[in-house]
Amino acid sequence: MTEIMPNITVRGPEAPRNIEALDPVFTVSNLSVFYGDYEAVRGVDLTIGNREITAMIGPSGCGKSTVLRCFNRMNDLIPGARAAGSIMYHGEDLYGDHVDPIEVRRRIGMVFQKPNPFPKSIYDNIAYGPRVNGMKGKMDDLVEQALTQAALWDEVKDKLKQNALSLSGGQQQRLCIARAIAVRPEVILMDEPCSALDPIATTKIEDLMQELSRDYTIVIVTHNMQQAARVSDRTAFFTAEVDEQSVRHGRLVEFDETSRIFTNPSDKRTEDYITGRFG
Amino acid sequence: MAILSTPASTVRLASQGRPLKEHLFRIALLASLAIAMIFLVVLLVYVVTQGWSRLDLNLIQNFPSLRAVNAATAGVLSGIMGTLWVVALTALMALPTGVLAAVYLEEYADKTKWYNRLIELNIANLAAVPSIVYGILGLGVISRGFGLGPSVITGAITLSLLVLPIVIIAAREAIKSVPPSIREGSLALGATQWQTIWRQVLPASVPGIATGSILALSRAIGEAAPFLLLGAATLVRFNPDGLDSSFSVLPVQIYNLITNSRPEVQVVGAAAIVVLLAILLLMNSVAIWLRNRYQKRW
Amino acid sequence: MAAQHPATAPGTGRSLARSRPRYGEAIIKALLLAAALVSIATTVGIIYSLVEPTIEFFQAVSIGQFFGSTNWGPLIKPATFGVWPIVVATLEITLIAIIVAVPLGLAAAIYLSEYAKPGVRKFFKPVLEILAGVPTVVFGYFALSFLTPLLKDIFPFLNLEAKNALSAGLLVGIMIIPIVASLSEDSMAAVPNGLREGSFALGASKMLTSIRVVVPAAFSGIVAAIILAVSRAAGETMIVAVAGGFKSIFTFDPTNEMATMAAFIAQAGAGDLSTGSIPYKTIFAVGSLLFIITFVMNWFSARMVQKYREVYD
Repeated sequence: MTEIMPNITVRGPEAPRNIEALDPVFTVSNLSVFYGDYEAVRGVDLTIGNREITAMIGPSGCGKSTVLRCFNRMNDLIPGARAAGSIMYHGEDLYGDHVDPIEVRRRIGMVFQKPNPFPKSIYDNIAYGPRVNGMKGKMDDLVEQALTQAALWDEVKDKLKQNALSLSGGQQQRLCIARAIAVRPEVILMDEPCSALDPIATTKIEDLMQELSRDYTIVIVTHNMQQAARVSDRTAFFTAEVDEQSVRHGRLVEFDETSRIFTNPSDKRTEDYITGRFG
Repeated sequence: MAILSTPASTVRLASQGRPLKEHLFRIALLASLAIAMIFLVVLLVYVVTQGWSRLDLNLIQNFPSLRAVNAATAGVLSGIMGTLWVVALTALMALPTGVLAAVYLEEYADKTKWYNRLIELNIANLAAVPSIVYGILGLGVISRGFGLGPSVITGAITLSLLVLPIVIIAAREAIKSVPPSIREGSLALGATQWQTIWRQVLPASVPGIATGSILALSRAIGEAAPFLLLGAATLVRFNPDGLDSSFSVLPVQIYNLITNSRPEVQVVGAAAIVVLLAILLLMNSVAIWLRNRYQKRW
Repeated sequence: MAAQHPATAPGTGRSLARSRPRYGEAIIKALLLAAALVSIATTVGIIYSLVEPTIEFFQAVSIGQFFGSTNWGPLIKPATFGVWPIVVATLEITLIAIIVAVPLGLAAAIYLSEYAKPGVRKFFKPVLEILAGVPTVVFGYFALSFLTPLLKDIFPFLNLEAKNALSAGLLVGIMIIPIVASLSEDSMAAVPNGLREGSFALGASKMLTSIRVVVPAAFSGIVAAIILAVSRAAGETMIVAVAGGFKSIFTFDPTNEMATMAAFIAQAGAGDLSTGSIPYKTIFAVGSLLFIITFVMNWFSARMVQKYREVYD
């Protein structure tokens, strides 16, 4: 088992979690994503379990971020982008005609690759989400709660009025997580949330994700295999494949419990990727 | 073999001094900017010396006159007041319209649609239409067509249409400089598109919009040609008292004064130019300061 | 850290449909579009204001006389309507202006884009902006009362008239330097650095790289800048009205006083002509001609800018 990946610690038997029964939040079937005529991702089947951390890994250009952005319909913002197949969210078609993408994004939060705090105070960054969702008045408790949950409260409680851009990169990213939490989403999507951070800040975010997974369903896209192994319950491995017309498409290769993906993958391509022979 | 290899002693990486040509080229380039600057300095010094004897309070307190006997005390009060009226109304009309149009083009318009490309091309084109043609629009449609006559409101509408493309172009630049990540962050929290624009994009682009607006309004303040067609050509000897009042503007009064044959009257014109340039330099400095202060915040 | 959060139950019960109507968004979008359409309305308004009186003008004055004669005097009696003198004056002043502005503006652009250190840029950019912000009536004054007497002293053999096309053209040239410079600089700045580095790697000097690589790569932007500057020069009114004068004699000699199309419009429009009269309609006929000329140039220029933006964006 450990011979394949001697350097990777898998969150496995030491931290046992009952992940046998999959309580689905998202059920993705035969999802393809197009940008204009180009099919960026083809035929993905995937299930995201409730209050689990699901990691999506794979080489660049494999479509993992594209799939992630379908979960809160951020892809709608790109002209010409469209999804085929289906994504069911608690049994409701996420791309159904009646569905309001804004309502979707209120329910499903997102944290981006590069920390993107608003050029406003720390307080206003947190309060922004609730405000645009119709909350009025002071929201000190809510701000404190969100910052506490994001493990940032102690560092910023004395400077809530300060501009968020004055924080360090790692603090900014935790602020963005707090900002997402403040609208009380059910799911948090994270698009390579640590790729712009140093190792210490990365560790803090990873610890935070573990904490958050008690209350939230988390889907994380990462370049970093060790990170996927450390934090996630299940892992989806994507790769880019060239079809008969020599067009590249992102494909889902394998989706399984993280411990199995990293110790005993069933697909040769997964094994090659995680052992560093490819990618 | 020996012939093909370069003897080590002849290879020199050290600079031999840049060739003369390179230096001359650089100096010629720099000279072009120097010419522009020297020209500005000479222009400023010239108008100040020409107008010096009449740079007094009478200039901004009294009404104009083309008679040499009044040249020692005549002023351009009605022109200053007319400019204030017209430019204030222009700001009220052109700035909101221009910012809204810019928001449409940057945030809503689908660039692949022909009509949006047409609007864009049309704005670039309008920005370069000669100002005298706007005068024709004002004369033919607004003044005589709508029957508003040679009034303050006619002047203000005409001037608004003239500066609108400039405001739109500047506001678009400012909106464009707000990074897309801010919009994504807001939308991902469930904000609507307009909430995102109103609460994130516009506040972040205020400095840029302000800079562009100041520059557009300073263009408006210096504009004379369209007013020649709008009845502002005469030396009005009263201040405007309403939207339907007849009026003159400072640049048109300057035009009348400097083209007068009497040197004493021309001096009043030169002094009025100093006033006009002082206002514009002040506005330009504020705009440049604003831009440098708020540049690159991300 | 053990929060009781989230207070709301997982979204199973709640639908993803719109929770409350958002008519506001649609109204706002319509409002924004309306603001953008003001620009279209302006163009339509300009064309509308020009077309009718121009047609009426050509019902009274034949196109043959308008384009076939070199006598221009619509405001005097007997009125003559041969447009060539003011067209030639416009071309001549534009030509003088371009001769001044293209070398100076391009040199300024190359310097700012390729040579200037940030500090130097920060100093010279505002100089160009202030130059662009000087009202043209001020340039007119400078041409009339400073430049013309100066040229008379230096070149007495030219026999400059008190108002003349030469001084006016030179000042129009200075006026359009910022247009040439800033648009050219934009297009040079858009040239990818890889091209420059490729040239430097081959051992080319900065001068060669600027002239042989950057300028050709930015060519369409530079042409757009020059076309726009030509259009500005052709339509400039106050400089020519003050320093070029209103006489319309058919001549190519720039030492003479001569009225351009814009100057004629200003002169005729400033007099209180009665709405139906032929002289009044002449304003619109000449206006149409000026508008068409500048419109075509602007359109070309805007299209070229749109193109180079597409290439490098």
